[in-house]
Formats: sequence, structure tokens, C-alpha cells
Amino acid sequence: MSHAAHGPNWPARIGAGFLSLIALAFAIALAVTIGEMRIPLDTALKALGNGLFDLGLPVSPIQQGVIFDYRLSRALMAALCGGSLAISGAILQALLRNPLAEPYILGISAGASTGAVAVLILGVGGLTLGLSAGAFIGSCAALAVVALLASGAGGASDRVILSGVATSQLFNAATATIVTTLASAEQARGVMFWLLGNFGGVRWGDLWIATPIAFIGFGICMLHAKALDAFAFGADSAAALGVAVTRVRVVLFVATALMTAVMVSIVGTVGFVGLVIPHAARFLVGASHARLLPACLVGGALFMIGADILSRVLVPQQILPIGVVTALFGAPAFAVILYRARRPA
Amino acid sequence: MTLAARDLRWGVAGRMIVDGVTLNAAPGRILGLIGPNGSGKSSLLRLLCRLRNVAGGVVTLDGRDIAAVPRRELARRLAFVEQQATTEVQLSVCDVVRLGRTPHRAALASWSEADEAAVDQALARVGLQHRHDQLWHTLSGGERQRVHIARALAQEPSELILDEPTNHLDIQHQLAILTLIRKLGITCIVALHDLNLAALFCDEIALMQEGRLLAAGAPEEVLTEETIRSVFGVAVAIRPGVSGRRHIEYLIDVPPFAVVPAASSAA
Repeated sequence: MSHAAHGPNWPARIGAGFLSLIALAFAIALAVTIGEMRIPLDTALKALGNGLFDLGLPVSPIQQGVIFDYRLSRALMAALCGGSLAISGAILQALLRNPLAEPYILGISAGASTGAVAVLILGVGGLTLGLSAGAFIGSCAALAVVALLASGAGGASDRVILSGVATSQLFNAATATIVTTLASAEQARGVMFWLLGNFGGVRWGDLWIATPIAFIGFGICMLHAKALDAFAFGADSAAALGVAVTRVRVVLFVATALMTAVMVSIVGTVGFVGLVIPHAARFLVGASHARLLPACLVGGALFMIGADILSRVLVPQQILPIGVVTALFGAPAFAVILYRARRPA
Repeated sequence: MTLAARDLRWGVAGRMIVDGVTLNAAPGRILGLIGPNGSGKSSLLRLLCRLRNVAGGVVTLDGRDIAAVPRRELARRLAFVEQQATTEVQLSVCDVVRLGRTPHRAALASWSEADEAAVDQALARVGLQHRHDQLWHTLSGGERQRVHIARALAQEPSELILDEPTNHLDIQHQLAILTLIRKLGITCIVALHDLNLAALFCDEIALMQEGRLLAAGAPEEVLTEETIRSVFGVAVAIRPGVSGRRHIEYLIDVPPFAVVPAASSAA
């Protein structure tokens, strides 16, 4: 009876995968057709055909550019970004045993933006790879600071969030210092806009970096799904169950930092996705990471595509920073989780 | 012989917590670990299952140094029940017991019939089959402890280490847990606070004080009026109980040591 729900239930898995693909395709189709310039669905599909398969269908070059180079790349980037951040959140919540853990709240995003801004302003090169590498160094540094502060404060799981808040402030201050002292007025304006999260500048080149990182990160996390489950009762309990705690922590923290860093370097800091999606996904599929992580990937992707559409249509003639839209949903969700976490153990 | 420790040393910040402990667990028997708060019982248990790395000495499992045994292999042999471990994650009873199968499953292996059988059997042994789908946070303290023991049993260990499994439980549940442990028939090392329970349930007792092992042996050898007075600082009278085991009665009106009466020092 019970192993039907926990065994390798292939029809259910394939069904869930198929539904996810349909939902993603639908969301991307919506994202590609909705926008300032009204483009009918059939034109959009033709433009996609031209872009993907070089069909040579009659579409005006402007529409072709808007659909394929602007909206499609943007939608795909939103999907990768949302999925990666949601997985990062799920991993951090499991390893740190704190329901409020996620890259943004722990200051990992702030660290990544400091690293990226340092590369951008100090001019190591405007290439995405340079930005990503800078962001990765920054996010690892932020992670190290959080770990140091938290272990210095006794290592309890509630200390981690306090350490994250402090780390966030520290790296935001560092970013502000770099921007105000070294950047030109124009650079400063650009950086500030990018910091709030923005899919506007996304091009195909960014996807060549974000796609492998998102999927490699997802793969690494999936390989550790059982180990993550074993952390439910803490690190000692996981170790007693045969998990190589230190190795798993290092590998997964680095994977999280890498995914966060690459997304931040392309999109800017986007908060709350990593917080809200894992909790919603747990509610739907349960706490087992073998199901939770794929659910986070798909859920995060859908959420972010939706948030991006909203950011474009909420205020006419204007695009809201994506971080603003996610925070509009995330802050109330944060409050709900905080309220529920009050429950005495 | 199964689990043995030789001259174990471990400390934090320059203070020795476990200081030269040598210990042997007899196969299939229950070894009780007693001692005052802070005497190093929990630390010793953590060293025995390699949750901490020894600073000196060696822990062996069938003569093999456990530092050289891969952690997963070790977890298939040796299970550990922590004191009062809990979680915020929404898990059912069987989810928790399933965690015990972690060391038996490869990273991408799916759930097998053998895994399911081990979980069912473990739940049956602690008498919680009917609570299979109940949520962890709705369980009482005694039930949680039994689930933890079932989780440990699902590891199919030949050695089980328990850190004060009766803590914070009422007397009925304390007895139930220890009776359960007695019936397992595997080698157990269990830290206990209650001296009478230790005398009642353990085959052998090891007594710790300030990180050192003061005595080890049969309960009647270790639990004497003199040792209890000197280690725990309480006066006791020990006589055979109804069960044939020793019964320790605490004497509250007798000063444990020949102290100078307060009245005379005031004068």
C-alpha cells in the first residue's frame, strides 16, 4: 500500500514531467505574446519558427527581433533564474534547518552583486563571464562570512538568519561604497537599476552561461537529494545516517553560491523567490527532496515568468524592476512563514 | 567483541571532556553509561559513533579502527539515537523511519521491497505500525523517542548507541523504552541518568566522572554506596530489590560526607 506512494512510480513521474513541460510552454507563449507591442500569436509562432529552425516565414524584422531576441530570451532567462533561486532556497533551508533561509536573506545575493559591481566598475571586462566570475567570488565570500558569524554565535539555526542580515548589510555597504566612490554618474544609475533586478538587458549570450549552470546545479542537488532528507534532524543525525556532512555541505553551498551568482550577474538581485517557492512546493509534493527539487525548478520558473509578465503590464508604459514584483508577493509570504514558525516545537 | 574504545581523548578549547577512556561493549548486551551532568557521557557516545573525531586513542568495531571505515558502511553497522532530536520539517512517522534506510541506498536508487520491509519491521518492533502516517509534530515525547529507535533499527545495525533515551519521559514511558531496548537483542550502549533504571536494565555499567571512567562491570560491582556517594555526592542505601536487581534508596537526611554542621561554624 505505502510503497505505491514512495516507490518508482513511473507513470506519475512522467505525467508530472509532461504537465510541467506544458505549463512552461504555455507560460513562455504568454510571455512572448504579451507586451508593449501587440503581436498576434500566429506571428509570434512564426517568429519562433524562424528563430529556432530558420524557416524563413514572412515576419517583419522588427517583430522578429522583439519576439525572438527580446521576449523569448527574456522569458527563458526568467525561467532559469526562478528555477535556480528556488532550488538554492530549498537547499539552504534543508542544510541550515531554517525555514527562512534563502540566497537573498542570507546575503549571498548581496555578495554576488558586490562581486559583479566590483568587476563592472573596476573594469576587469564587461563580458558576462567576467561578471559571473566576480559574482561567484562575491557570493562565496558572503557565504563564508555568514558561516563564520553563525558558528561564532553558537551555530544555532536561528543565528544563521541574523548573520545573514548582517552579511547582507555589509555587502550592500561595500557595493554602495564602490559605486559612490568609483563609478561615473551614468554607471551608478545603471548599477542601481540592475541591482533591483531587471530582465531587460538579457541577450542570447547570457543564456549560454545561465542554462548549463542552472542544469548542472540542479543535477548536483538531485544527486544529494537523499542526503538532504537526512538533514531533517540535524547534522549529527545526518552523519549518523552515513552522510559525509562536511563534503555534502561544501558541495551544495558552492553549487548554491554558483547558481545564485550567475543569476545575479545577469539579472540583478531578486528576492523572495528562493523563500516562497520551496514552501509552496513542499505544500504540494511533500518534504522529500527527490520530488521537492524538481517541483522547485518548475515552480520557480513559472513564478518568475509570471512575475516578469506582471512587471511589464502592471504599470502602463513602464517596466517595474522584477525584484519589486517578487517582493510584493514575497514579503507577505515571509510574514506568513514567520507567523507559522512561531509554533512551539 | 564488537565496539571497543582504547584510551579515548577528546576536548574543546584546551579542556579535556573525555580523558583516557577504555571501554568494551559485550556482544548482544546492554552497557549502561552513568555519571553526573557534564561527566562526558554524550561526548563519549559521539566519539564511539565517530560524530566527533578523537584527539587521541582509537575506537574499534570488530577490531577495525572506525576512523578508517567509510561513513556509509559505518552507518549500516552502527546506529545512534540522539537526545531529543526534533525537526521543523513536516514529516510523517514513516518518513522519519525511512531515513534509516539512507546508508543502504545509493544516491539514485529507488525505494526497494527490502527497504519497505525493514521500515515495516522497525515500526512493528517499537509498536507504532498504526501510527505509520501520523505527523511527527503531533507525537508525544515517548512516541517520538520510539520513532527515533525505529529509525535506528531500520538501519539494521548490530550496535545501537542511545543518548539518554528516557529523558523528559514519564516513568511509564521510561520503562517502556528500556524494556524495548532490552528485547532488541543487539549490542547497546545507553547513557542513563536514573541509577535504579540502570541497575534494572543494564547487563554492565560504566561510571564516568569528569571525563574519566571510574569503574566498569556488573551493576552490583559498580553501584556501591561508596562510589555513588563519592561520584554523585548523595547518600544511598543499596539492597536487593524485588526483581533480584539492586535497589538504590536515596537518603535525604544523611549528609553524604562528614561535613561540619552549619551551627558549629557560625559559633
